[in-house]
Amino acid sequence: MYRLLEKTDEEPVASLLTGKVSSGMTRPLPSTVVSDLAKIVGHEHVITDPDRLLVYESDGLTAYRRPPRAVVLPSSTEEISAVVGLLHSNGIEVIPRGAGTGLSGGALTTPEGVIVGTARMNRILKIDVENRIAIAQPGVINARLTEATNPYGLYYAPDPSSQSTCTLGGNVAENSGGPHCLKYGVTARYITGLTVVLAGGQIVEIGGVGRDPYATLDLVGLFVGSEGCFGIATEIELRLLPITEGVRTLLGIFESVESAGRAVTKIIACGLMPAAVEIVDGPTIKAVEASVFAAGYPLEAGAALVIEFDGTEAGLDLDADRAEQCCLEEGAIEVQRATDPEHRVKLWRARKKAFGAMGRIAPDLLVQDATVPRTKLPEVLAGIDDIGNRYGLKIANVFHAGDGNLHPNILFDRQNQNELELVERASKEIMQLCVDAGGTITGEHGVGVDKRKYMTLVHGPAELEAMAAAKRVFDPASLFNPGKVLPEVEVKGATDTAKILATGE
Amino acid sequence: MRVDLTDSLSRLLPEEAFGHSVPSSLWTALRTDVETVVAPGSAEEVATILKWASEMGVRVVPIGTGAHTYPRYPRDPFIVLTTSRLNEIQHYEPADLTMTASAGASIRDLSTEMATHGQWLPFDPPDVPNRTLGGLVATGLSGPLWAGYGQLRNHVLGATIVCGDGRALRLGGKVVKNVAGFDILKVMVGSRGELAVITSVTVRLFPLPVVDRLLVLEATDVSELVSTARAVATAPIMPASIILSATSDGGRLLVRLHGARVSVEADQKSLEKHTGVSFEVRNTPEAESLLVQERGSGIDTELVVRVWALPSRIGVLLDLLKQVPGVSLNADVYGGSVRAYLPVNLSDIESSLAGLQKDIEELGGTIRVLRIPAEVDASSYFAKPLVDEGELAAGLKRAFDPHAVLWGIE
Amino acid sequence: MTGAPVYEALGQALDAQQERLLPCVHCGFCLPACPTYNRLGNEADSPRGRLHLMQAVVEGRLEPSSEAFRTHIDRCLGCRACEPVCPSGVEYGTLLELARETAAKAAPQGLPTRVLLKVLGNRALRSPFFFIGRLLRGTRLAALGATVLPSYGPLRAGRLVLAMLASTTRWQPMASGDAISGNTDSGSDDVSRRSRVAVLLGCVQEGLFTRINSATVRVLEANGYEVVLVEGQDCCGALHAHGGDLERARMLARTNIRVFEASGAEFIAVNAAGCGAAMKDYGTLLEGDPDFVQRAEEVALAVRDVSEILASSGPRIGASIPCKIAYDHPCHLLHAQGVEHAPITVLEAVPDAEVHIVTDAEECCGGAGIYGITHPELGGLIGGDKVAAVRACLADAVATPNPGCMMQIGAGLRLEASNEGVIHPVELLDESYQRAGFYRVRGAE
Ligand SMILES: Cc1cc2nc3c(=O)[nH]c(=O)nc-3n(C[C@H](O)[C@H](O)[C@H](O)COP(=O)(O)OP(=O)(O)OC[C@H]3O[C@@H](n4cnc5c(N)ncnc54)[C@H](O)[C@@H]3O)c2cc1C
Ligand SMILES: Cc1cc2nc3c(=O)[nH]c(=O)nc-3n(C[C@H](O)[C@H](O)[C@H](O)COP(=O)(O)OP(=O)(O)OC[C@H]3O[C@@H](n4cnc5c(N)ncnc54)[C@H](O)[C@@H]3O)c2cc1C
Ligand code: SF4
Ligand code: SF4
Repeated sequence: MYRLLEKTDEEPVASLLTGKVSSGMTRPLPSTVVSDLAKIVGHEHVITDPDRLLVYESDGLTAYRRPPRAVVLPSSTEEISAVVGLLHSNGIEVIPRGAGTGLSGGALTTPEGVIVGTARMNRILKIDVENRIAIAQPGVINARLTEATNPYGLYYAPDPSSQSTCTLGGNVAENSGGPHCLKYGVTARYITGLTVVLAGGQIVEIGGVGRDPYATLDLVGLFVGSEGCFGIATEIELRLLPITEGVRTLLGIFESVESAGRAVTKIIACGLMPAAVEIVDGPTIKAVEASVFAAGYPLEAGAALVIEFDGTEAGLDLDADRAEQCCLEEGAIEVQRATDPEHRVKLWRARKKAFGAMGRIAPDLLVQDATVPRTKLPEVLAGIDDIGNRYGLKIANVFHAGDGNLHPNILFDRQNQNELELVERASKEIMQLCVDAGGTITGEHGVGVDKRKYMTLVHGPAELEAMAAAKRVFDPASLFNPGKVLPEVEVKGATDTAKILATGE
Repeated sequence: MRVDLTDSLSRLLPEEAFGHSVPSSLWTALRTDVETVVAPGSAEEVATILKWASEMGVRVVPIGTGAHTYPRYPRDPFIVLTTSRLNEIQHYEPADLTMTASAGASIRDLSTEMATHGQWLPFDPPDVPNRTLGGLVATGLSGPLWAGYGQLRNHVLGATIVCGDGRALRLGGKVVKNVAGFDILKVMVGSRGELAVITSVTVRLFPLPVVDRLLVLEATDVSELVSTARAVATAPIMPASIILSATSDGGRLLVRLHGARVSVEADQKSLEKHTGVSFEVRNTPEAESLLVQERGSGIDTELVVRVWALPSRIGVLLDLLKQVPGVSLNADVYGGSVRAYLPVNLSDIESSLAGLQKDIEELGGTIRVLRIPAEVDASSYFAKPLVDEGELAAGLKRAFDPHAVLWGIE
Repeated sequence: MTGAPVYEALGQALDAQQERLLPCVHCGFCLPACPTYNRLGNEADSPRGRLHLMQAVVEGRLEPSSEAFRTHIDRCLGCRACEPVCPSGVEYGTLLELARETAAKAAPQGLPTRVLLKVLGNRALRSPFFFIGRLLRGTRLAALGATVLPSYGPLRAGRLVLAMLASTTRWQPMASGDAISGNTDSGSDDVSRRSRVAVLLGCVQEGLFTRINSATVRVLEANGYEVVLVEGQDCCGALHAHGGDLERARMLARTNIRVFEASGAEFIAVNAAGCGAAMKDYGTLLEGDPDFVQRAEEVALAVRDVSEILASSGPRIGASIPCKIAYDHPCHLLHAQGVEHAPITVLEAVPDAEVHIVTDAEECCGGAGIYGITHPELGGLIGGDKVAAVRACLADAVATPNPGCMMQIGAGLRLEASNEGVIHPVELLDESYQRAGFYRVRGAE
């Protein structure tokens, strides 16, 4: 039965959320381990000075902070293997880290952990134009792969909003999505093979274009989205797509987010396949317009809908016409259309700058992430609005409407202890609302430490135990990123099912 | 070996679960004539059967139609579990482009329902209309259409399964994006009935293309077709599928284009420009029958192998395979696989296969036997049981089917 | 926390900046823009990491005198490539200056930094300093030294300094066959009634690049601007601010504000990107000075890079100079001032000058003031990449409108015995105008 493999105290050691500050004291690594690590990667790539380790105390979610015992920055599969082998043989937990842009605390260390970063593994090893694949090290930045393959008329499709900085390794671990994943699918669809360093430093190759995909289990598919808990991806084989010929971008302004939501349903229902469909709601528009990133949207607008079509030039205007029609039928106040790159950037601006703009208008911001079936968007948005009102919190929504992936941004002030508590409760209600609507607790940011508490909303004890079992297959001693993804369940007797169910609520 | 069901199992299940028949080809695939078939009517009944089997030390082979079961050599007593009674559409929300149906539902029935809403499931492995949804997912096959639509595994959003020891699990969900926890669902796609019995599946659907155009190019010189086919596969536009079929007398290239009329027309022009050839266009009824012919060709062939290599190596593979006398070939040019239907009168099948295997491996490819006459022993060319596929696969097998109730390929 | 006395005395400057630090949401977007992070891979050498260290100082979790704080704040190039990519608009440059001040007060800086800042901030010390420099250059001793001194060991820094000096020599473009071809502009028109413009002379510019200052004046005049000479102006204070000596920077700023205000000029033309960036930030520098902040902001608003002024009125077209010019963005123009096209427009006013943008032109050359001297290894790495990118252009000369960058790239090229000249864009325009006969220059500088 489901039992937790490791015990960690994931109280937010927050300074941002609670104003509290962690002591920053971690147990130093034994000096023999440090010198052995230095022998593998060079001493300048082993960071043990507690002051310097501070910068590794959190990822993109700063509510959780804890400095690691050390950070190691290897440069090859062999080095990672040796580093992991050494650490694991000393019983030391390994926490993989890419660019640290994760929004669920995935790269947060355990109290006894050592971070293995991929910052120096940033080479693209191969671009195979004939077969449309590339092989890259995990520290390669998502957008760099597209830049490198553009000259061959190819690109890498998954485009998380953080693509200018997040790493392919992080993308694999989180199965990242992005605006254009509506048409093109998320990371999992593009990962064809992996070289992985497993527990104890064992190197395995899984998948690979040209190998019979039906010969064995889809281990690549299982590894993608494993949030650093199964091993470290050290070489990634990815599928590339040909650059599409043309693009049309539409911006529809609506009076309410509900009518924008209905327009989305209509567009999809009439058989169109947009590349991206994104909604920016009224509060977000106001935030953007009030910030240095003002895009000139009408302030009274209830929602802006960005729709993009790509593909063969010849069909695009037709698609755009039909989408425009759908918007107008659902009461759009105006619809703009862009064909040239500059205009396109302008139409996207409010969407792209929303995150930063909100960082400027509110002292603190909690980016939530959940998915609901697309048809449930209007009712769920109304529900979120209601939750915000009841708790007196400002909630702004910017989201991937096409695939029902919501990002409610809760604005608050951490100085206000009372508000913190409300944020926590509102978050939980939003999660419950989405799950009740047939959705789930995360669409692309992963579970990490932050969402473990919500896992029981979507999974029963049997499912959680099955996930734990899958982890044990890869990492029997739980030395890779422990304390993530799976919720903590207090189990007194090993088979005390009643208790597990009780915590499963 | 025969298992006596009358006493223990029959008491656990309603009468409707018994007395079902399966195609005789199944017994060939299983190398046996044991006819012990049970058809559970619910996931609970599936769990009952598997728990019973665990206790009794009986093995279970789950099937959809049974028409496409991998070749297996049962050694222990076993029964066949058919999903034929699990066949309803549980949930269909056209506006969300998602459908949930029981594992035994046939693709043909599901497609009929989807088509009324202008939607479909864009996968076309051999004989797809006759497959079950569960069988499709258990084999993980996408068919050549994955060039344009991606693989089946990326469009399976959720499933309910019953593990070998009778544990029922709900995996994934109904939404397109879902990263809440480890993606166990992925290993179920393509697990060929060795980890769990799939009881229902949620899939993402697609709008039917406005225009489905088939471009055809025929030639007696296959290598000429290969270079055109590769040029199509590396063109700036992405066709829905690229199939090349060949015999020793010549071949045929089929390129499928999907989209609005204007874009399909523009795509055809750009392909013709890129490849320097002009294609014949086949319209719907004729195109459909051509495709059915390609997809279903050799469905009754008793000796079928599949070869994989990098897509860019497809030419050399075909060059090699077409030398086998009487062979008929069907290649997915984008994906890099070739199905070869071999004549059964092939002299000395075992050594011929061994020779082919050696040559193909030298070219960097792999060969797998899909069907073989019962009297031939070619077990080394079959898919290996999961326990032999490395520690990770073996570990997953133990995790989901701890008592090895679900039959592996032996 | 520990170290309260030190912290109280020093953390205040940063503490007052909470509002500037808080918008950092730790998103990491700035990481790939940072030359030091890209090369070292250590997040403490990234913008986000440095901000995190600053925040830790403010929170009292880190001693400003700690080796970690000093090292990583010191290792920052100050190139501000991290600013334009930041979605939250974190004002990194300002924070860096405060962090440097905090660090400098907590523990003394290295000798070269201290000496140089002292010298540059003081006119009396400055002129003999640059006089020696010009002497070494004029006698070609600098060039000689740069070739004979070893590239390793303690003399390495000396070698670099001499190479930098040698590289400030004027580049002579090829004579053009047809002196006035391409001069389609009669030179009369409306160019005669434009605004009054003051020119910042600067310290290094005045000391080693007098020719650029003269060219700036001539070129502006040829475009119809009335150039006023502003007496009593001083070094802009940029190097001091970057070095953490904010007090001296503020002193210099006040002097400049006084004299430029009095000049009655509508614009202040600056031909050194670093100085322009600093002057455009005078308002922030003096925000704690109620008497001056208003005046500082007004002066800052009048500051323009010389190329901005020329580009805004569309520079007159000069005579042909057939040559290939590689253009490299100075960080303090592109990132700090957001000026990207204006200098290129200036170069394009020279017929037959073919302009190529250096690959990765937006990345720092590693000059960053005296970075190459204080951080020879990392500076060398960054500079080496830049020199390679410049050489790959196969150009006759590289143009970059900032003296620090000119010297850094120039030194790099010289040490690799590569022959490209190093110029400021207005120099080329000036030469082109001379060839076009807009004016004649008596004797070289
Ligand atoms: C402003 C902003 C916008 C964002 N937008 C999106 C978006 O649109 N879509 C989206 O999906 N996400 C988004 N994210 C979240 C984040 O960028 C992604 O999750 C990203 O994939 C994380 O990559 P990283 O390199 O930063 O990984 P990290 O944050 O460093 O690590 C993330 C997880 O991956 C593991 N990991 C890292 N490298 C490896 C490896 N080589 N092998 C195994 N495990 C590894 C870590 O242990 C950790 O659990 C956004 C984040 C920010 C700050
Ligand atoms: C001409 C020809 C060509 C072929 N080409 C290929 C090929 O290219 N690639 C390939 O892999 N195979 C190929 N096969 C083999 C065969 O196509 C597959 O096994 C088939 O995909 C399954 O369809 P089905 O629904 O009828 O299921 P079945 O035939 O009943 O079962 C197929 C497999 O899935 C399992 N299964 C079925 N339902 C369930 C369930 N609910 N839960 C768990 N497991 C289940 C069964 O155990 C069995 O292993 C070919 C066969 C023929 C005759
Ligand atoms: S980009 Fe801006 S907000 Fe993001 S980490 Fe860097 S400084 Fe902070
Ligand atoms: S100023 Fe330049 S070197 Fe310093 S942190 Fe920013 S990008 Fe890095």
